[in-house]
Amino acid sequence: MGVTVLQQYPVPENKTGTYVIELLTKRLLALGATQQGQFLVDCESFLSHPQMGATKTVHILHNSEQPASVFSILESGTKNIHVVADGLFDLFMMKLAQHYTSKKQTKIESKGPRFELGDFCVKLGSVMMNQTFKGILIEVEYRPCVMANAVWSLLREFLQGLLGASVPVSPPQHLLSRMHEIYTPVDTVHQYLEHFGQYRKVTGLRNA
Amino acid sequence: MANSVNISIEAPIENQIQEITYDGQEIYQAPLSMSENLARLAQKIDFAKSDDDYCTIKKEPEVEVKSEEDSKEPGYQSSQWPWDSVRNKLRDALTQVCVLADVLSIAKEKRYMILDPIQAEQQDTRPMLQVYGRKKALGAAAAVLLAGVERLRASETMRLSRNMPDFHIDLLRLRQNWRLKKVSNTIVGDLSYRTAGSKFSQTGVFEVTKAPEDQIAQAMSLNAAGPAPSALRVAVPPELQGVAFISVLCQKEQEDVVTATLSSSAVNCPGSMPGEGAELHWQQKLEAAQNVLFCKELFARLAAEAVQLDASIPHMVVGNQIMATVLPGIQLLIGLCHNNAQNSNSSNPDAVKPEGTAGKSEHDHVLEHSLHQLLRAVHHANTHHPFPHPATGPLGPSKRRCLAGPMAADRYELLDMSKEQSLLEQIIQQAQHFFMRRRSEYVLDTIAKEVKDPLIVSHWNALNSPTQSCVKINIMASGYDAVCRTSLVVHVGEKTLKCICRDGKVRHLSYELQELRDLIYCQIYQHQMTAVQAVGRCMGWQLLASSSHLGSGPVEPLGNASSCLLASPNGDRMIAIRCEPSVGMQVFIAQSPRKDFFSSELVQDKKWENLGGAFKEIKLDKMEGKNFLNKMELLMACLSSPS
Repeated sequence: MGVTVLQQYPVPENKTGTYVIELLTKRLLALGATQQGQFLVDCESFLSHPQMGATKTVHILHNSEQPASVFSILESGTKNIHVVADGLFDLFMMKLAQHYTSKKQTKIESKGPRFELGDFCVKLGSVMMNQTFKGILIEVEYRPCVMANAVWSLLREFLQGLLGASVPVSPPQHLLSRMHEIYTPVDTVHQYLEHFGQYRKVTGLRNA
Repeated sequence: MANSVNISIEAPIENQIQEITYDGQEIYQAPLSMSENLARLAQKIDFAKSDDDYCTIKKEPEVEVKSEEDSKEPGYQSSQWPWDSVRNKLRDALTQVCVLADVLSIAKEKRYMILDPIQAEQQDTRPMLQVYGRKKALGAAAAVLLAGVERLRASETMRLSRNMPDFHIDLLRLRQNWRLKKVSNTIVGDLSYRTAGSKFSQTGVFEVTKAPEDQIAQAMSLNAAGPAPSALRVAVPPELQGVAFISVLCQKEQEDVVTATLSSSAVNCPGSMPGEGAELHWQQKLEAAQNVLFCKELFARLAAEAVQLDASIPHMVVGNQIMATVLPGIQLLIGLCHNNAQNSNSSNPDAVKPEGTAGKSEHDHVLEHSLHQLLRAVHHANTHHPFPHPATGPLGPSKRRCLAGPMAADRYELLDMSKEQSLLEQIIQQAQHFFMRRRSEYVLDTIAKEVKDPLIVSHWNALNSPTQSCVKINIMASGYDAVCRTSLVVHVGEKTLKCICRDGKVRHLSYELQELRDLIYCQIYQHQMTAVQAVGRCMGWQLLASSSHLGSGPVEPLGNASSCLLASPNGDRMIAIRCEPSVGMQVFIAQSPRKDFFSSELVQDKKWENLGGAFKEIKLDKMEGKNFLNKMELLMACLSSPS
């Protein structure tokens, strides 16, 4: 488990998402990466019942990199509380259906090929919400290191080399405060949630 | 009762406690008002009872049914109004009374209805017949009981008089150690390891019967001195009879692998337990049967694993034998030897004599024991799940797997957890380690025998695991062990050796023994060089130069030649030592200046003599001294003398 950076990749005006993914795949393969299966990160949000006072949102995320875990993040005003649990948490949420109702139409996921290139692991994800293509998220992980500040410049260089100079690369909002702490899988999930939140706000793009 | 004291009992004035709050305050129920109290008491009146009485008098079943229906209904409605049920009951009673009054008035007219007495049922009134019948029945019952008593008394007296064993006491003893249950008329027991966590499909049902008395008497007459025979007989299914054990053999690979050693191991298996002719005690019989079942489970499991595992050299399962390659050229043979009583009788008796077993390797009791232990560990793990037991989650996965979700383990860690070593793999590892340990022991012992100077002492750790042990090797010269000793530690693993040398270097060696041998030889010569320097230091000699890897001289087959140069305290003598592992130690001495100086044409001044002279080799084997260091000490002492 190393430090992961998530980066949105803009889709050019007259191009489709598949085209961009193929383009990036070609670049990665040219660098010598090998494809190691697929990956999937999905997110479902639950709203608390109005009777329980102020409305709270619980986001349930699954990451194929941690197949035995369910990540849940509770948004309560200023603070986000996360809980990592095992697979039974999904069943638990079904039990809580009275108090937390699922917003089915906001179920969002990012999936695509997963590449390994030396110590790096690159995932090219197409973000889909209700079968509508929303954009492209690129996840780059540098596995030997767990401190974000120690590896950030390396990751930036790698991202710039991969994505081209046209894409501005900046450290993720979530990581800014946690640059000097040990990186955990929950931090990746927080980054995904951040980007999913942004994608939910924008109206649908063209179909992939 | 003049002294009697009046005791008045009354209910406490306190009201009933309705609730106790968390701070300990008690909330009382308000007392019932008069009307409420009346309602409560009225609820308690059992109208149904009086209804029943009424019905029995009238003998009208329709009324009874009706009243039951009615009595149910108010039960549902009673929550609405407290007097509801009372009212309904009263109304029913009124209806019934009205109907009764009507019926009576009609009956009085005698025009439409006449009340006739009901004819009582004609009873069989022949008293003598009944008496005889009863007498006969009672007589039959009494005869049965008396016969039983007679039999019990007879058997008891016979048992006491002839000292016969008691069936029930034996059954009680059996019950203390074995699981029994009664199925209709028979007593059936279970000797399988199911309750201990086994998942083997074969059952281990046995039946308990009472031994015939004549057999007991016969057995008692045969050996009067021995312990009393049991009144129990246990019948064990034929597939669990006899003796079984798992034979484990380690042997050099042979050409005809299939015909390897099963015959020899089967010969060694005793066909019958001692004293088979005389009936065995049930305890021994059951234990033997349980052992057969255990061996069968163990072998079935090993065979299944041998087929599933894909080793580089595939394991072979032929008949009741498994063959696995432990190390190149060495095979592990695991066989199930099961001799039924029937088999041994049918097979020719001269198979019993051990033929051709001398050349073959012996049955390995340690590995057999390990196999038993491994299967028992599996049984134990099947029944003992790690705590805490979750109230909802699945029971069974390891603690690490339980924590994998909350700790966000990634896919590699999860894959790691799913790997489980099979019994066969574990036993192969143990066999490998066994061989590695024996080979290392052999190498160290032979080196210690070959090399007398210096001494090689190896200490084996008494505590070791089945797959790892550790030996500490000390190299020293007798009499000089305080001056210099070289120690190294060798960890013997499954297929590799790990040597940790004195300088902290770690060397990993393969299962080839020559590597260990070479390493020890290198260490011996290194020891000699350092020891001679240490002796020199003690003697006041000065180390001028030393090199452990000389570039000069012929190429050594192992390691490099090393050398050192020592100067005497006053600097006029020098000793040079060269050590080549293939040759041994060579010692040279030189002297400068020489005591006698003759000026020649070339060397005219004595000062040139200080440059050092030619080295002359010393014939070490001709020197006094019990070992090399002793010789060197004597040499140095001799050269230090100011003559």
